[in-house]
Amino acid sequence: MKQLRKNRILKSLSSIKITVICLSLLFILTLWGTIDQVNNGLYLAQERFFNSLIFLIGGYVPFPGARLVLWVLFINLVSASITRLVYRWRQAGIILIHSGLLLFFVAAFVTFHGTEESQLTLSEGEGRNVSANYNQWELSVWEIKKSNKNVFAYPTKNFSVGDRVEFTPHDFSVRIDAYYPNSEAFLAGEGQTSVLVNPSNIQVVKPIPVDKEPERNVPGGIFSVYGTDQKDLRILLYGGENVPAIITKNNKTYAMQLRHKRHVLPFILKLKDFRMEVHPNTEMARSYESLVEVISNDTSREVLISMNEPLRYKDFTFYQASYAMDQFGRELSTLAVVKNSGRLLPYVASLATFAGLLLHLILMAFGGKKR
Amino acid sequence: MKFNLLGHDKSCPYNGRGMTCLPVGKVHHARYLLLLVFCFNFGGMSASAQSTVNLDTFKNIPILDEGRVKPLDTYAQNLLLRFSGRRSFDRKPAIEWLARLLLDSDSVRDDKIFMINSLDIPMALKIEPAKKRRYSYAQIEPEFVKIIQLAEVAETIAEKERSIVEQEVLRLYYNMMQYAKLTQALSFARPHDDFHVHDAALRKKIHLPAEQTKFSFWDIVTRSEHLYALTEKLEDTTPEFWSEGDKALMGLVSNLYQWSLLYHKIPFAVVPTDIAEDETWLSPWDILRENFHNEIIRKEIGLLHTIAVGYRTKDQKMFDAAAKAFTDSLAGRVIKKQRKNIEKIPLELQYNKRHFFLWAKLLYGLAFFLFLFSFFKSTPILRAASLWIIGVGFASQLTGVIMRCIIMSRPPVTNLYETFVFVGLICVLLGVIVELVNKRWLGIMVASLLGLLFLMISAKFSAEGDTMRMMVAVLDSNFWLATHVVTITIGYAGCSVAGLIGHMYLIQRMMPSCNAQTLQSTYRNLLGTLIFGLATTFLGTFLGGIWADQSWGRFWGWDPKENGALLIVLWCSIILHAKVGRLIGQKGVAIFSALGLIVVMWAWFGVNLLNVGLHSYGFTSGIATGLIVYVIAEIIFLTFSGFYLRKKT
Repeated sequence: MKQLRKNRILKSLSSIKITVICLSLLFILTLWGTIDQVNNGLYLAQERFFNSLIFLIGGYVPFPGARLVLWVLFINLVSASITRLVYRWRQAGIILIHSGLLLFFVAAFVTFHGTEESQLTLSEGEGRNVSANYNQWELSVWEIKKSNKNVFAYPTKNFSVGDRVEFTPHDFSVRIDAYYPNSEAFLAGEGQTSVLVNPSNIQVVKPIPVDKEPERNVPGGIFSVYGTDQKDLRILLYGGENVPAIITKNNKTYAMQLRHKRHVLPFILKLKDFRMEVHPNTEMARSYESLVEVISNDTSREVLISMNEPLRYKDFTFYQASYAMDQFGRELSTLAVVKNSGRLLPYVASLATFAGLLLHLILMAFGGKKR
Repeated sequence: MKFNLLGHDKSCPYNGRGMTCLPVGKVHHARYLLLLVFCFNFGGMSASAQSTVNLDTFKNIPILDEGRVKPLDTYAQNLLLRFSGRRSFDRKPAIEWLARLLLDSDSVRDDKIFMINSLDIPMALKIEPAKKRRYSYAQIEPEFVKIIQLAEVAETIAEKERSIVEQEVLRLYYNMMQYAKLTQALSFARPHDDFHVHDAALRKKIHLPAEQTKFSFWDIVTRSEHLYALTEKLEDTTPEFWSEGDKALMGLVSNLYQWSLLYHKIPFAVVPTDIAEDETWLSPWDILRENFHNEIIRKEIGLLHTIAVGYRTKDQKMFDAAAKAFTDSLAGRVIKKQRKNIEKIPLELQYNKRHFFLWAKLLYGLAFFLFLFSFFKSTPILRAASLWIIGVGFASQLTGVIMRCIIMSRPPVTNLYETFVFVGLICVLLGVIVELVNKRWLGIMVASLLGLLFLMISAKFSAEGDTMRMMVAVLDSNFWLATHVVTITIGYAGCSVAGLIGHMYLIQRMMPSCNAQTLQSTYRNLLGTLIFGLATTFLGTFLGGIWADQSWGRFWGWDPKENGALLIVLWCSIILHAKVGRLIGQKGVAIFSALGLIVVMWAWFGVNLLNVGLHSYGFTSGIATGLIVYVIAEIIFLTFSGFYLRKKT
């Protein structure tokens, strides 16, 4: 340990100048990222300033993103805790603050990589065990048969032209000829011959700029399918379609669709009743409530989900997110579904940091008097 | 009779006046309402003299407004504030004006209560622009059709795209509509030509007082049994066989029926419905239509009628008894939650009457003046006196805050207005603590200046209307409001105090007679408050994270308000690390802490201004300008002091 404390590399890594520079960069990024949200929306600003390692200003000048800054700060903090921090009672507050912060970095890492967010929209009386991601998409294939379906899906996040994806169990593969994260679709004009296979007779997809609300993006793409009954089969898929494209192989029929990424829940959630209350004599909502039934194996129970009162079950948490009314006047309730394994980490980290700050303040006041 | 202005409907045979059902809401329906107001408003009673009735019982009456049961006193103030930008009229309490509006509407026609913030509008309406920007109903009324036309156009424009003139047109339009509707809220109690009964025999038959000929809707409707008995006999005959008396009777019945259909959704909800567990309240006219069969409700409307009669005849006893009986009757039958609200009305009246924040402001101002005086002559007695004055101001402000908490059953901070009051309160408290430690006027300066400043800003904010509003569903959690919101605002207070002490440190150091001991003491207080600010902002931020995790499933989402709090935490950490690494000295800590005030302002309300477009108007853009001016002044000051001190050392 003593040798480590004198290690030159560690010493220079633990420089407090690095800390100040990183904190200042983080300050700039946070401020910039906030102002940027006015024009570009939360999601895009978040991707550009906070989730990125590096981004370009005006397309040329590189600037570190918050993720990179946080990594540097983490290394800086680890090195400082080895070389700089003085482990004495008088410094107990400082030590506690910084161990809390270390835990924060761990929490941020776990949450950033381990959280899955999706949505579950149910009408009254409806039950489901699949939730849909609202801004990520997948290319999915399943065999059409009477019994349970097994879906094979690839997330489209990293699709690029020329990529090939294999649907091994069905023994065919797909090449991506074109893929646009946000697109517009056009039907075939009159007299136009259909070259591309599409269930709704769409013949053209055109890219459009990515929307600042990620849930408004509708992707589209053209895919060549190899190894089926048809030769030179090219399929056009558009995210706005509800019907899948049909492929046949060896007397079996397959469906292929571009759809919101699905997450399977290990239980069924059924919406029994949705209620909204307003403040009397106003249209301002006072509360939203969804009465749901959680059906798991052979047991079931009823739970009331309301604002600030989510349902936690297994690794999942369900929050009342929004509501709507469909054309038949049925109430639809949308629940946000979050799967998060490191939920408690930030709690512990905050508590440690705050306790440290408090302790330091007390020790400082005490020491001040002594002087 | 001014309804000719709009033309009239001849379909009603008995009085020749348009009596279509009253549509509500949209601008294009306004013409109908206007017609009705003109029809019925001014044929009635003659304008009586100034109100001499004492309104103490009247202002106690509860009303359900903006989702909250509140006394008429508060309602009157907010209404007048919305119309005229002031809480009183002609130096008299708003409740007097409201009583006249409801019970003697002719007498308010010439009161200049409509504030128009744009000179274009009086010009468009061909009205002489008034110096005080306020106009009377009588002045604007002849041009109301023009206002409707302009409002119709303005309403088609998206809210954010509207120009100042368009916003003002709409505001004026809605205010005039509300005014017009309110003049009718208790019109059932007002004697009217439509209910003239000349025939003494008829009066006797339906049990009306013999000495009177003109009656109100209420006088007649409460005799409907007798009317029914009389008209029943006429049912089998045709009008040509009717006597003059019969015709008068049928005219009366017809008018009664037409009036009962007239007024819908009048924004004066003072009577709860008779449905169990229903929290809705209705205006007297609406409840008359819906629940006339209910005896208790009928009795309550009767009491409102008595209030109106008492006011008109200046019969104080009758007026007070009816107002009290009405309030008691409501309290006896509403749901528990609303009953509790009614029970709190006397407290709210006290709150309205005592002006705690105004007193606190005056006392802080006095203490600040004494602080300035201390430069010439500083004695321990003067310092103690200032501290006591601040203490009394603090007690007054605290009382106001506590009363608000009790009235709303809420923690002290639920909206932006309350943040100013509460941060001010905490700053005063911190200032007093600093003074007790420092003993060199520093804390007195901090407490008096910040207390005064934040209360002045809060007073500006309260000009936007009711400061005790209902909360949207997602914020409706007393636990999180009490923990997260309170700690984060304490954090704002801590950082504000640190910022001000930073200024004071720089000023002290620039003084020719700079005392090293004083300077060190100021610096220690600066560090103490800075760490206090960091600790509480940190705690507040992460309590916010926990709230977000509890209600949305994510601890952190980089949203503007979260980022604002993070900026404060980062700023304080930068200062403290730069200090530990000896990148900055005492002067640097002071300068950066002073700059921290800008960061606090940004997190606190600068973020709220982000959504403000170019077309914004009124207070929000006013505060944006103020903020920019402040930032520029601050940077000039800090640059100057930085250079000056460098030269000096």
